[in-house]
Amino acid sequence: MAKSLQLKEEGNRRFQAGDYPMAEALYSQALIVDPSNPTLYTNRAMARLRMSQWENAIADCNECLKLSPDNMKAHYFLSQAHLAMHAYDDALEHGLRAHSLCVKTLDKSLGTITTHVLKCKKERWDDMEKRRIRETSELELEVVGLLERERDQTLREAEAADLDEGGRKEIREEWERKIEKMRGVFEKARPKEEKRRQVPDWAIDDISFCVMVDPVITKTGKSYERASIVEHLRRQPQDPLTRESLYISELRPNLDLKQACDEFLEENGWAADW
Amino acid sequence: MSTQFAAKRLSKELSKISSSLPPGIELVSADNFEEWLLDIRVLDNNPLYQNQTYRLKFRFGSSYPIEPPEVVFVKLPDRPIPMHPHIYSNGIICLDLLGQQGWSPVQNVESVCMSLQSMLTGNSKNERPPGDEEFVRGNRLRPKDIEFYYHDNDV
Repeated sequence: MAKSLQLKEEGNRRFQAGDYPMAEALYSQALIVDPSNPTLYTNRAMARLRMSQWENAIADCNECLKLSPDNMKAHYFLSQAHLAMHAYDDALEHGLRAHSLCVKTLDKSLGTITTHVLKCKKERWDDMEKRRIRETSELELEVVGLLERERDQTLREAEAADLDEGGRKEIREEWERKIEKMRGVFEKARPKEEKRRQVPDWAIDDISFCVMVDPVITKTGKSYERASIVEHLRRQPQDPLTRESLYISELRPNLDLKQACDEFLEENGWAADW
Repeated sequence: MSTQFAAKRLSKELSKISSSLPPGIELVSADNFEEWLLDIRVLDNNPLYQNQTYRLKFRFGSSYPIEPPEVVFVKLPDRPIPMHPHIYSNGIICLDLLGQQGWSPVQNVESVCMSLQSMLTGNSKNERPPGDEEFVRGNRLRPKDIEFYYHDNDV
């Protein structure tokens, strides 16, 4: 046991010094001595994250969660690794788990985790948006291709039926009009990049100026991002607006606002780093 | 919280004040998230401050806006230090809003400028704080480390 702790301490020192491969090796040795210490897994996961070994980091987090299912760090690192591997749903799920564990234990990392959750939401939206744009433009090409094939077919048939040049021109123009119209329909469906990209004030935390992930309401009826207001109340137990006394324990989640913010971000992911 | 927190919030404040600021407040420079310069003017006819522009220097720590910014008036050839019983002649301002106790994280650069504008507007005394000369000569502290005694909050 003492041996494993000693290896861990040395690993931590190496990690601090930025020597991640050595830190990882030391945590591995410690795990051989004591495979039941959850911290050794999260520490190694952290070293592996630094070395961009996402899958190995995920394996460590999962081992840790087997031993200690409510390990905040394991969920946080898992979320980071999934995000790096573009597994956005998993990233968000574990990010939110880490967030709720932070809230439960009044963990000091709440601010960092809140920022991370926003990042997950933003990247997930970016990805969906990219896919949506690609799919729409593929569909457009396909539909236009079908129309052009149909036009050529009709023209060939007209030629076979000995239609004169004037008649064939008419057919061609008619099809060009159809194709133009189809393109117009797709154009209209494209969201304008300059469409008012404005974040409504109700979604913004007045302390961090970010869209809220976990809004909590004070006695005065004003809502803030939990991470921001908690940080303030730790130093000064006063309502930011009225200066009345206010304690962290008096904050209540604002569930309806949370839902509204979630829905807003769902449709306007760009706002996550507005 | 991290430095990133302050930078993020300041970048949002900056984008907001770059596009619009209330009358009498102007952004002079904001090249980084540590120090910004703004000019303020008093808008009414208070004879103490008429036709004058004053330069403010904001310094932000990594805990902004949880911690207040450090705000002082800066003296330049065309930017005097406004005469006020709460403003020392070296530019240090005694305002509870800027102290640890009076600050609130919902305040921002714009609201601080507006508070200072109205602090000047409402003043009619053509004088410095008591002990100004001595304070200016002896003070080596940063504004945030000075324990001001807010003796007359009604000025």
